[in-house]
Amino acid sequence: MELIMLIICGALAITTSLMVIFARNTVHSALWMVASFFSTAVIFLLLRAQFIAILQIIVYAGSIMMFIIYAIMMLNLRQEDPGRGQTPATKSFGLILLIVLFICLMSLGVGSGVMALKGPITDQLMLQHGHVAVLSNFLFSDYLLPFEVVSILLTAGVVGAVVLAKRKE
Amino acid sequence: MVFLVFLGIVGVKALVVFTVAMLIVAWGTWIERKVLGHVQLRYGPMRVGPHGLLQPIADGIKGFFKEEVIPDNADKPVFILAPIISIAAAVTLLVVIPFGPSITILGREITLYMTDLDIGILFVLGIATLGAYGGILGGWASGNKYGLIGGLRGSAQMISYELSMALAIISVVMLSGTLSLVGIVENQAGLWNIIRQPLAFILFIICGLAELNRTPFDMPEAEAELACGYNVEYSSIKFSLFFMAEYCHMFVFAALVTTLFLGGWHGPILPGVVWFFIKTFAVIFFCIWERSTFPRCRYDQVMKLGWKVLLPAGLLNIFVTGLVVILLT
Repeated sequence: MELIMLIICGALAITTSLMVIFARNTVHSALWMVASFFSTAVIFLLLRAQFIAILQIIVYAGSIMMFIIYAIMMLNLRQEDPGRGQTPATKSFGLILLIVLFICLMSLGVGSGVMALKGPITDQLMLQHGHVAVLSNFLFSDYLLPFEVVSILLTAGVVGAVVLAKRKE
Repeated sequence: MVFLVFLGIVGVKALVVFTVAMLIVAWGTWIERKVLGHVQLRYGPMRVGPHGLLQPIADGIKGFFKEEVIPDNADKPVFILAPIISIAAAVTLLVVIPFGPSITILGREITLYMTDLDIGILFVLGIATLGAYGGILGGWASGNKYGLIGGLRGSAQMISYELSMALAIISVVMLSGTLSLVGIVENQAGLWNIIRQPLAFILFIICGLAELNRTPFDMPEAEAELACGYNVEYSSIKFSLFFMAEYCHMFVFAALVTTLFLGGWHGPILPGVVWFFIKTFAVIFFCIWERSTFPRCRYDQVMKLGWKVLLPAGLLNIFVTGLVVILLT
């Protein structure tokens, strides 16, 4: 049952991701991306990661896509603009990048044992303490340093954005 | 057998919650028109039924039989999808609202909420953001400049106020130590959160009104400047869906204020469900009352309030709450 659902959601996620690229209309493209994030969230749910699923919806499908759609509407990119800036060089560069990324992912072992639950966060632990409690315990003890480093990185990004926006004045 | 019984209970619950919500949505419009009328020293609807009580039914029938118009300029699939997104998100939110404590029927313990998610409050935030797409896409897809401006304003307002709202919620979560709405209500058995978190309460109310697009924050539909904003090209049942979504959101917002700050189902003598609805209707009344009291803010004032007042206030509140929690434990 779970496997069937997983396959359906995976297929949906891949189809919608492809539609992001193939849609001619920029806003449609952004909408397909929302759908893609949504199906990814369902995959997280099937892997019993409620918290990550809902973060995926709040952060990506909600906030980030809202920003992107706002920007697209603001710039009024409604007219389709087929093939602008697509030269054989950019196309082949994209293809090479795709192959390299694919090899990277495969070598990391994403392809093997997708269904297997590994690592310290197990089903029993989640049932005992609830998902958020387990996750936050690991996040603020074992993974504290990476967590803080990521937050510094994000703050640096925000500061950088402010600096870039201010320069024009 | 056990599974069938479980399925039956969930089905009945879903039906009851949906029906009650739709009734509140329908007669919410009646309440709004009546209260607005009396505030302005007139009667409001009086013709259909006693005191206009059947007005929502008449309006519903009218909505169905109006002519359906899709503008030539519109992006047809998105135009049709937008009201559906709006109403679907609004109704989905009802799933996590805790209406009351568990009761015993025929020797079986029945909880008066559909599900107690471990991440209930985050679920609300997530689905509410998705619901906001409805208005924005509706405005964009109409191919109308007023609609587009309404949609743009809607998304800008959503982005600004969602943050402060989340900050207000975080300080409540810090006190109760759980993200589950049922847990938050149980945590308020002694003292309601409105007393423990007055600043968060005010922040939540203001941000909630902004997210509901109600006066003084009804930028996306400001009649006087945008003709009606994002739903200007909509007619017939599609317009009704937007309208229903708005009132459903208002009900959910009132239920959330009750759950997070007003102690949910807690109260003396009367059963929990009754208390829940008394408090919820008090909040709904407040929403209508303030609509008839405040004028509409200017757009830049709305943005300034969100980023320069509410956001710092929310951060300060979290800081103080954190200090108090650490000092007390």
